[in-house]
Amino acid sequence: MVEEKADRMDGLMGAWVILYVCTCHQHGFTQLHQNQYTEYEPIIYHPKRSSQSVHQDFTVQCEKMDIPFLSYLPTEVQLINDAYNLVIDAMLGPESDPTNVKEPRPGILCSLKQVKIPIASVDVPSGWDVEEPSQDGIHPEVLISLTAPKKCSMSFSGKHFLAGRFLPYDIQKKYELNLPDYPGTDCVIEL
Amino acid sequence: MDKMNHSSADTEAETIEALRYLSKGEAAAIETELLRDYRFGQQQLIEIWGQACALAITKAYPLSSLPKKQPTVLVICGPDQNGSIGLVCARHLRIFALCASQEFTAAPVNGQDTYPITFSARALRHEMVVPRYYDVTTEVQLINDAYNLVIDAMLGAESDPTNVKEPYCGILCTLKQVKIPIASVDVPSGWDVEEPSQDGIHPEVLISLIAPKKCSMSFSGKHFLAGRFLPYDIQKKYELNLPDYPGTDCLIEL
Repeated sequence: MVEEKADRMDGLMGAWVILYVCTCHQHGFTQLHQNQYTEYEPIIYHPKRSSQSVHQDFTVQCEKMDIPFLSYLPTEVQLINDAYNLVIDAMLGPESDPTNVKEPRPGILCSLKQVKIPIASVDVPSGWDVEEPSQDGIHPEVLISLTAPKKCSMSFSGKHFLAGRFLPYDIQKKYELNLPDYPGTDCVIEL
Repeated sequence: MDKMNHSSADTEAETIEALRYLSKGEAAAIETELLRDYRFGQQQLIEIWGQACALAITKAYPLSSLPKKQPTVLVICGPDQNGSIGLVCARHLRIFALCASQEFTAAPVNGQDTYPITFSARALRHEMVVPRYYDVTTEVQLINDAYNLVIDAMLGAESDPTNVKEPYCGILCTLKQVKIPIASVDVPSGWDVEEPSQDGIHPEVLISLIAPKKCSMSFSGKHFLAGRFLPYDIQKKYELNLPDYPGTDCLIEL
């Protein structure tokens, strides 16, 4: 599967082949949902599936859209570099404990630390503490914070987006979120 | 050489298939498949459609174009799925800084609610928008004066236009007389899904969901289509020939 994808990389004029790495928690749901609505070519690596029915529903939706699911992630980092334009990291969210990351995730994180292609992380870069940026963890180029940015992203230097325009005003006020004004009818804003 | 050119031009013309307009049965079948086989959740679909409707409204009636001082919009929600879509639309319009006043028609009088999803949409609404309850006024002038437009989310494709019960009959009467624009969700309330209505309401804007319905074939107003999420297999199975949505837009003007 990885070799097939490598043949399809044509740079800017070709299809954007994107590797999504998800897991069984809510974090993974977000990515499975998002996969369907782009003209890009997503490929999903989803090593551990959740038994929650909402997660399974999102999985079926992706499968029915003929989005390929990888059965394994190559440990050879060069294979990942060659086959994909970028990686979307939707593995571990704010609810996870970065000091207690169970297999297969440490292995995946190891690979991700070495890939040369850009990584875009959903909400919290996998393996980071929610409140502290990581020194030796993965280094995404792009971060998409959900609802509001987390403490660990205060000094994030890459492209930082915020998604959460739907948030009721009462919650915004209660937690003093001071969210920026989203432009036009956009549901995402670059911070 | 000429023959070859001619036949390739023919082939090109043949591949641009006409957009399919759905019958009542087809619309129901597609939705059943989405829920049963493709495991979309009803709330998920309603959220997608509601947001698309709100976006269509902002395209058809940009804030700067609204004639009244306050950017008020009257959203009339029925009890079924169409109404839930109206609720979500109202919520998104509120976020887009349009003031959506929601007119809630009575909950099903017999107390039976076969659409529990409607209640959760209402719960969301309570947290988000300050509801202003009116009795649906027959004072057409009051509506004309207070609102910039009406969003008709009363009766959907599943309803029976020959058997419209109160309070919808009365509301439809009122809507036929309002002078402000009406935007309908999926099927103008009171219309048959397969036949345009001669004496029914005349919306300026129609936002079709998934695919346009037969009744909208000769619709002359602004016609939007919301349904980019639709899996390719369903599009092929029902030969929908949907147009290409621009960029990352979730709706397209037909």
